[in-house]
Amino acid sequence: MNVPLNIDWQQILLHVFNFTILFCILYFFLYKPVKDFMEKREAEYKKQHDDAEQALEDAQKTKEEYESKIAGAEDEISAMKSEAGTKNAEERTRMIEQAKAEAASIVEAAKKRGEMEHDKIVAEAQREIADIVTTATEKIVLSADVSKSYDEFLKSAEGNMKNE
Amino acid sequence: MSKKTRITSIVIFSVILIVLLAGIILLGKPRPRAESLSETMRDAVLHDSMKVSLFGIKDVNPGLISAFAVTGVVGLFAIICRIFVIPRFKEIPGKFQLFLETIVGLFRGLAKGNSPVKNGILSAYIFAAGVYIFVGTMFELFGFQVVTTSGASVSLPAPLSDINGAIAMGCMSYIFIMLGGIANNGFHGFLGTIKEFSLPLSMSFRLFGALLSGALVTELVYYATFLSFVLPVLVGVLFTLLHALIQAYVLTLLVSIFYGEVSEKKLEKPKKTKKKKDKNNSINNTITPEVSK
Repeated sequence: MNVPLNIDWQQILLHVFNFTILFCILYFFLYKPVKDFMEKREAEYKKQHDDAEQALEDAQKTKEEYESKIAGAEDEISAMKSEAGTKNAEERTRMIEQAKAEAASIVEAAKKRGEMEHDKIVAEAQREIADIVTTATEKIVLSADVSKSYDEFLKSAEGNMKNE
Repeated sequence: MSKKTRITSIVIFSVILIVLLAGIILLGKPRPRAESLSETMRDAVLHDSMKVSLFGIKDVNPGLISAFAVTGVVGLFAIICRIFVIPRFKEIPGKFQLFLETIVGLFRGLAKGNSPVKNGILSAYIFAAGVYIFVGTMFELFGFQVVTTSGASVSLPAPLSDINGAIAMGCMSYIFIMLGGIANNGFHGFLGTIKEFSLPLSMSFRLFGALLSGALVTELVYYATFLSFVLPVLVGVLFTLLHALIQAYVLTLLVSIFYGEVSEKKLEKPKKTKKKKDKNNSINNTITPEVSK
C-alpha cells in the first residue's frame, strides 16, 4: 500500500516498541526508585512535622490547663478576700451595734442609778429636814423663848443648809 | 592571570584560527555532494532514498536507528544510575541526586497539577516521554554517522523528525489518554477521548513539524560552507536546545491536561431536577388559587 508521506506502519510499530522498552527501563530503573526515595523522605519529614505539631499542641494544652488553674486560684483568692472583707464588715457592724447597745444600757443604768441616788438624797434630805425640824421644835418647845428659839431655828436651819 | 600568559594565550588562539582558515581556503572546493540541496531537503522530509538497513531485516528510516540509539543511551544511563547512584542517595541531596530528583519532581508536579486523580502512571508516562523527546532532539547535535543502503553516510537525525516516530508518539499518547479515561471513567472517559479525535493528528504533526523544521534549517545552513562558521552555534545548538525543551514540555503538558480532563470524575447535575421541581411548584401555586376560587 502506497501511503503518502512515506508513512510505514511497521516502522511506527517499531517506534512504539522502542518507546515501550524505554518506558519500562526508565520506569523501573530511574523513575520508581527516585520517586520512592522522595516519597519516603517526604513521609519521614511529614512524620517529624506531625510529631512536632503534636508536641506543640500538647504543650499548648498543658499551658492552657495551668493558666486556667492559675486563673482559678486567683479567683478563689479574690473570692476569699471579698468573703473575709464582708465578714469583717459584718463583725465590725455587729461590734459597733453591740458597743452602741452596751453604751445605751450603761447610760440607762447610769441614769437609773442617778435617779435612784437623787431620790435617795432627796429622801435623806427630807428625813434630815424633818429631823432638824423636830429637834428645833423640841428645843423651842423646851426653851419656851419664842424669839430666841425662832432665831435658833433659823440658825440651825441655816447651818443645815450650809452643811448640805 | 598575568599579562604574559594572557598575551601567550591570545597568540596561540590566533595561530590556531589562522591555520584553520588557511586549511579551509587551501583545500579548495568541497567535494561534489552526493545529492543537491533540493534532494537533501526532500529526503529529510520523505526519506525516499536514504534508508538504513536494520540488521539486514528491513530498510528503515535513519530516525528509527536514532530512536534505538536514544533508547540505548538513556537505558544505559538509567541502569548506571540505578546501580551506582540511587543506592547512595542521601537525605540532603548532592548535585547529581538533586538533578535526578528535580526531573522526576518536575514531571510529577506537572501530572499532579493537571490531573488530580490517578496521576501515578501519568507522571511515569510523561517522564518517559519528556526524557525521550528531549534526549532524542539533543541527539541530532552529536551527528553520529550511519551508512545508508546506497552507501552514502548520513548523520542520525532526531527520532521524532521522522514522521513514523512522530506518529507513533502522537498515537501512543492518544491511546494512553484514552486508556486513562476508560480506567477512571469507563464509557464516559472513552467518549471524552473520542471527542478529541484530532488530538493524535495534531500531536503527531506538531512534533514532526517542529523537529523537521529544525533539521531542515540546520541542513540549509550547513549546506553552504561559508555559513558553517559562527552560525551553527546559534542555529545548531541553541535552536536544538530550545525546541527540545519546548517540544518536551508541550507534549507532556498536553498529555497531562487531556488525561486530567478525561479521567476527571463527572459529578451528577442535580440542578436540572431542582429546576423542574421548582417549575412544578410554581405551576401548582398558580393553579391552586384559581381552583380555590
